[in-house]
Order: sequence, then structure tokens, then C-alpha cells
Amino acid sequence: MAEATPKIKILKGAEPDLSAATYQIHDESHTIGNALRWMLMKNPKVEFCGYSVPHPSENHIHIRIQMYDNLSSLTALLTALSDLDDLCVTIDDAYKTSFQKDEFERWDEKS
Amino acid sequence: MNSQQPGPSSFNNPATGGGYPPAPRQEMEYLCADCGAKNEIRSREPIRCRECGHRIMYKKRTKRMVQFEAR
Amino acid sequence: MASTSYARPSSSQLPPSVFNPRRHVNVQPERVSDVSNTEYPGHYPDEDHSWDLQKFKQTLNVEVKRLSQRSIEFDLVGVDASIANAFRRILIAEVPTIAIEYVYMWNNTSVIQDEVLAHRLGLVPLNLNPALFDFRDASGVPTDRNTLVFRLNVACELDKSTPKGAPKQYIHDQVTSGDLEWVPQGEQETAFGDRIPGPTNPNIVLAKMRPGQEIELELHAVKGVGKEHAKWSPVATASYRTHPLILLNPSMPVPPHLAQKFAKCFSPGVVQVSADGEVSIDEHNLRKESMSREVLRHKEFEGCVELKRIRDWFIFTVESEGPYAPEALFPESVRVMREKIANIRRAAEALLADADGGGGVGADGDVEMAGV
Repeated sequence: MAEATPKIKILKGAEPDLSAATYQIHDESHTIGNALRWMLMKNPKVEFCGYSVPHPSENHIHIRIQMYDNLSSLTALLTALSDLDDLCVTIDDAYKTSFQKDEFERWDEKS
Repeated sequence: MNSQQPGPSSFNNPATGGGYPPAPRQEMEYLCADCGAKNEIRSREPIRCRECGHRIMYKKRTKRMVQFEAR
Repeated sequence: MASTSYARPSSSQLPPSVFNPRRHVNVQPERVSDVSNTEYPGHYPDEDHSWDLQKFKQTLNVEVKRLSQRSIEFDLVGVDASIANAFRRILIAEVPTIAIEYVYMWNNTSVIQDEVLAHRLGLVPLNLNPALFDFRDASGVPTDRNTLVFRLNVACELDKSTPKGAPKQYIHDQVTSGDLEWVPQGEQETAFGDRIPGPTNPNIVLAKMRPGQEIELELHAVKGVGKEHAKWSPVATASYRTHPLILLNPSMPVPPHLAQKFAKCFSPGVVQVSADGEVSIDEHNLRKESMSREVLRHKEFEGCVELKRIRDWFIFTVESEGPYAPEALFPESVRVMREKIANIRRAAEALLADADGGGGVGADGDVEMAGV
């Protein structure tokens, strides 16, 4: 291998202050793309956010972020990532709490 | 995906794998298609099983290890 | 089409928010409407909708509903489809397991072709906890931390003890997954001594043989994920449906003489008919509704009922096929998701440090950019 592909790179055409930029994330798919897009759109400082899988045989996604008031899209990306992590923790806790409550039906499945 | 590779590759070499010296030249053994008995085929002799008389012979499978990807 | 969504029936046991029309996907005879969630900042005047963890914690509801030895059903309520879908996708394609990857064949005189046998072996689910193993790195060097070795040595024979005249009996005419023999490597003997690695099901037929045929193989199992090959997928299926909702129009009740016909338009148990022919919805059975839309085909029921789905109420069904207990799969998918987030976060922080430290930013404040 000549050089490792970077996990994230900023594509050509981004604003110098990163108030609008397209990020290429390597080795990710719709799984992260759509979830991250949703979380970014939940940020009121984000003017626009969209993601795409440019080609099915290329193992990366693009995420476009445009900000209001010349804010940094990279900061918004980091915020979205930590919010998404909080969301995961919350869901995990809720699932485990529900499972420990043991209020579900147990049944015998023939295999 | 065609994942078939003859012989062990450089790093997927199982413990017992490795190079095989060319087998010494000897009489080729064939298996009877009917009874499975070992037979030798010689020139100018009819191809016929010495056990059962069947006239179809199979060549034996290679003794070499063949590597596959389980896909 | 304007939605007329009827109010919550007074007898309903469901939480009032279920009847909030904003949560409803409208199911019409030949189309669906209101499919997407619109609750984003700036969409509704005077409403916030920005991400709020506390609010999310209040509205989120996860409830395990049914559990068997091999499957689980649970509700995930209060999340966007993008989140539910992320977990579903991870369950299928990114939760790791161990599967046979390399097959070294010394002999196979059975009728099943070498490559077909190798393929079948790859699909056998193994009972190993993937957390105990490493992924093979790019160099592909096998170690006792990333590779398990099995042998399969079987030969078929005629059973000589069969009495004369009885039908022929064979020894080892069926090669099953139970014939796989584990060969401990390095420290594996002490690490797995109490739980011998092998297939989760010993009765999977791999090949059939007749006397004189034999199979002699060595198998190497490695850790992988379902996106590489489905043999590494830990689930038979992981899917979700959104919760159905049937709204009866109080100002247009179903005529009592048609009540039975009306009930038959839905999945069994969903619609109940009282002695005097009054229809009602059994909320406990509501989730079983198949949403066939049969009721919308009949003119006599026009205006009596509306079919909806609750957009953020996901009924997950996860069927385990492999080493994980069904209840352990979802937490595992959350773990993988968090790992992915942490990975991207690390890279994004490095990018930010680069931009801040002036490393990548030129005199004109230009960021180092990659060409496309």
C-alpha cells in the first residue's frame, strides 16, 4: 500500500473559513451518512446538510454542510458526532433497563 | 469471486503445507468407475478392470493440497 | 389529500402522543403520504426542534416485547428512521463474528465439488465469542489471536455388521458440521478449554458420501463482518416495521350488519365486534395488523376508517444465527455504532487541529484541500 487513505478529507471548493464544505469520509456508508445528516440538520446553525454515496464501488461518502453566520462546519460536524454518541448511550441504557425489567413474553422457538 | 489458488500462498501456508518434490516417475494408477479397484493401463492391452471387467477408468485426484477461499 | 385525523378514543390505553397527527404516516389505497419527519429547526415557526438530549431521554421508549432462544422483538419509540436504520444495517453488516475463510484441501473424492464444499463450510455458524479475537491485519499473518484451525477427516465405509439381506448400511455417509475437529493453536487450549470451539449446530449436512470416498481438509476460521461476506453476519434477519394505527371515524360508525366483514379486513384479533355489532380496535393486538389495506377496497367502509403508521415507533425483529444470544445483538450494534462515531471524531479532531494550528491553512486562510 502506497499511502493510507485519510478517514476524512475536505473536498475542493470549500469556503476558506469552512462555513460551507463537503467532507469525504472513507470506509463509511448510509449507516453513518444518514444518521449524521439527521443530527446535523437538528442543529439550528446549520443552513443545509446533505449526504451522498457518490458511487457504489467507491468505499466513501460525501457530507455537505453549509452554516449560517459564517460558523465553522467542522465544529458542527464534531458537535453532531458527540450528540450522536449521546443518543447511542441513551438508547443503550433504555434497552438494558427494559431488558432488566423482565416484563416481556418468553416463548419457545423450535429451530 | 474466483478465489481459487493452487497451492498454499506465501502467508496462508498451513503447518503441513509446503512445496512438493516432483513425484518419481511410476506406472499410473487408475480407479475402476464401477468397483473402485486400482488398475494399471498398459499400452496394447485392453482397458478393462481386472476385478470386474468394467471398461471405464477414472484418473486419481491430485495428491497436492489445493487452497480455497470459503466464499 | 387533507388529513382528517380523528381524536383519541376515550377508551384508549395508548399514550395520547400516539394520536398526534404529526407522528402519522398516512396509508392510502394506492399511495402513502407524510412519510418523512419534518421536525427540524426552522421548519415550524415558533417551534424549536433542535437537538436536546434531555427532551430525547423523555420521549425515547425502548421496550423488549418477546424473547425466544433465537429471536427477540422490541420496540424502539421516539427516534428518527435514520437512527433505527443505522442500527438495523449494523446488525446485518457490521457486527463481527468468526467464520471459516480458508480451506486447505488434501483430498475430496466425494461427489460434492471442492469449491462448493468450501463455500458450504464457510457458511457454518461457529460458537465463538468474537470479542476474544482480533481481525487479521493487512499482512494476513495467522496467529493464535486471529485464527482458529479445524480439521475435517472423514471416510465412508460399508457397515459390515448389517445382517444379510437387510438394506445396505453405511458408516459416515453423511458429513455434518459435528465432524469438524478443533485443533488448538498456541494459547487457545487454555483460553477455550472449557468451551470447545465448534459449530453452533452439529447437524448441518456438509456432504454425502458412499464407501471408498473420503474428505481430508484443514480449515482456518477468522473474524470478519457481514459487509465483507454474509457468512459473517450474526443475524438471520434484522428488520423493523413501523407501528400500525387504525383510526375509526366516530361520526361515521361501521353499520352493525357489516361489522364482521369489516373485522375480516384486518389481521385476526385486531378489530373486535361487540354483541350489538359495534366495532372497536384491540390495542394490544394492533401491532399485528399487516396493513393489507383491504378495508380501503370496499365502498361501504369509505370514510369509516383511516389507516396510519406511527413514523417513529419501530418494531424490531432480530433473529440470531451465530454466537450471540438474541438479546445481546442490539447492544452490540450500539457498541459498533459508537466505535464508528469515535473513529470519525478522532479524524475530525485531527482535521480541526490541523486547521487551527495553521498547518493546513495558508496565509490567505486557505485550507489544504484534496483534489477530487
